[in-house]
Amino acid sequence: MLEIKNLHVKVGGKEILQGIDLTVNAGEVHAIMGPNGSGKSTLSYLLSGREGYEVTKGSVTYKGQDLLPLSVDQRAAAGVFLAFQYPIEIPGVTTMTFLKTALNSVRKARGEEELDAPRFLKLVREKAKPLNVADDMLKRALNVGFSGGEKKRAEILQMSLLEPTLAILDETDSGLDIDALKVVADGVNALRSPERAMIVITHYQRLLDYIVPDVVHVLSKGKIVRTGGKELAGELERTGYAEFAA
Amino acid sequence: MTDAAKTFVETYERERGSLPASGLVWLSARRDAAMKEFAASGLPHRRLEDWRYTDLARALEKASVVSAPLHKGDVALPDATAINVFGAVDRHVVVFVNGVMQTKISDLPSGVTVVSLSDALSADWAKTLVETRVSDAQAANVTALNLALMRGGLALHLAKGVKLDKPLHLIHLAGDDGASHRRNLVRLDDGAEAVIYESYVSAGATNYFDDVVTNVSLGAEARLTHIKVQDEAAGAVHLATLTAALAAKSYFSSFTMTLGSALSRNQTFVRFDGEGAQAHVNGATALRGRQHGDQFCIVDHAVPSCTSATLYRTVLDDASTGVFQGKVIVRPYAQKTDGRQMSNALLLSRDAAMNAKPELEIYADDVQCAHGSTIGELNREALFYLRSRGIDEQSARQLLISAFLDEAFETVPDDAAREGLRALAADWFRLALKEDA
Repeated sequence: MLEIKNLHVKVGGKEILQGIDLTVNAGEVHAIMGPNGSGKSTLSYLLSGREGYEVTKGSVTYKGQDLLPLSVDQRAAAGVFLAFQYPIEIPGVTTMTFLKTALNSVRKARGEEELDAPRFLKLVREKAKPLNVADDMLKRALNVGFSGGEKKRAEILQMSLLEPTLAILDETDSGLDIDALKVVADGVNALRSPERAMIVITHYQRLLDYIVPDVVHVLSKGKIVRTGGKELAGELERTGYAEFAA
Repeated sequence: MTDAAKTFVETYERERGSLPASGLVWLSARRDAAMKEFAASGLPHRRLEDWRYTDLARALEKASVVSAPLHKGDVALPDATAINVFGAVDRHVVVFVNGVMQTKISDLPSGVTVVSLSDALSADWAKTLVETRVSDAQAANVTALNLALMRGGLALHLAKGVKLDKPLHLIHLAGDDGASHRRNLVRLDDGAEAVIYESYVSAGATNYFDDVVTNVSLGAEARLTHIKVQDEAAGAVHLATLTAALAAKSYFSSFTMTLGSALSRNQTFVRFDGEGAQAHVNGATALRGRQHGDQFCIVDHAVPSCTSATLYRTVLDDASTGVFQGKVIVRPYAQKTDGRQMSNALLLSRDAAMNAKPELEIYADDVQCAHGSTIGELNREALFYLRSRGIDEQSARQLLISAFLDEAFETVPDDAAREGLRALAADWFRLALKEDA
């Protein structure tokens, strides 16, 4: 699904990623853990295609194709989805309008038929229900005045509508209390499938109690310094990142 | 004096005897005095503070300023979005060509008078309105020019308590190059209600000067909703002055959508004469190329307990220029005033420029007033977010620009017209997409 080889990335002239190697297969959930400033968010933004990230060396292959020349929206259409740590507030655009525009853009790019209003409404309600996203929230401007939990649930709703093949969850647990975390984790777990790969980026082990990964990587100073099974997360929780930060 | 100003003076000398209602002694005297006033100072120039950002004199050097012919032949209604925008509404339509009224409406309810300016001038209410002076000395000059040369226009009078059964749609067509000075008079007696739509478009003219003064007077508890769309030809100069005098508990709402002309200026003067009245002066502007659009608005709270709100949203592409100059005056006795004013501009290009000058002038102490101005560009984070959900760049930009303008459209108190304005904005984008492609 995703193959990253010796990836070096500069942001604002500074090398943040210094040779990442990572292979994620379909059906797998990989956790990337690491201290602040280790390059976790840089990796997620780079994969989503955000401007300002300069690849100086290495390659990213997605479904056998070079991912890097694709634009942000082309990547989304190809099935890459980034759940934001801080979803952006967009006044004046209702959540419903946004979801419909996004879904139909992606469907069109994937050669699928666009959904008319009644069919879209039926689908969005079906997907929104298990995430406790009420109609009222869908009528509000996107993320404007949403609580932390509402924002994250809205992210997972988008993911479930757009049906990505590679989902990257950037610090999805930040700002969530335990009840909200469970709702979000249930939403993510419901989307686990043999055709879909996920990268879960997190500072804390807590999220991984609910979204149990197949593989855990530790990122430090722009490199993956350790890789292990799900038990590695528990170990880090006990020992902290001190040994990697040093 | 500039060539354009000279042309106006000469035009007056030549046409003085043939101007409408030239038999009215008071009017001829007022016209003479007005032309004298205009000739003494000429066209406004940029050394005048209120004209600092808008060089009308220079724009008129390029425009054709000899009088446009009084069109008599049939002019086909162009298939223009600025007209069709009100198409979904059951309405009375009055067409003007070069300022001259072409149609008479026969099915009007009793108590409603809709006539051409020249047919109204002998009435007392019309006389009072024509003699309205604008409070701003630097704007008075161009209204003096209009008074001297005014030929066409509409006069609407609603008797006490009369509600106009359907909106009145004024379609102003520029059929020929040249200057057309026209005057619209709107008098709503106590408790009367009306909705007026206006469309300004070209029907063949390319180089012209539209000089429109509209004088509104509302009786106690009268209500007027005014929605105007200006989509003049690319070579046009559009100067529109609107004065509104509001009696107690009256309601005035005016929305101006500006899309067309090389240079345009909408100057609005609202004066509260009675307590408990409300004025909403709003607008949306979308410009491209080298277009210049100026929104100038003075709201004068001369009496207590009135509410005013002004919101302008401006989107500027290419090398276009936008101007917002707004002033809220609260006179010493005007306690319990609620006055709000906001201008927000979105620059889509490095070469676009916005000038904003919001002002409050408050002499009373028990008031609520707020004003502000923002100038910004499309939020990159928001663009990235939308695109990361599969929305292509152009659509993402369009979504954000629409959302930006939509907050202005939300102020339009007429559902059908609001939808029409949204469609008009969408049209503007489509053109932008075509040009970029």
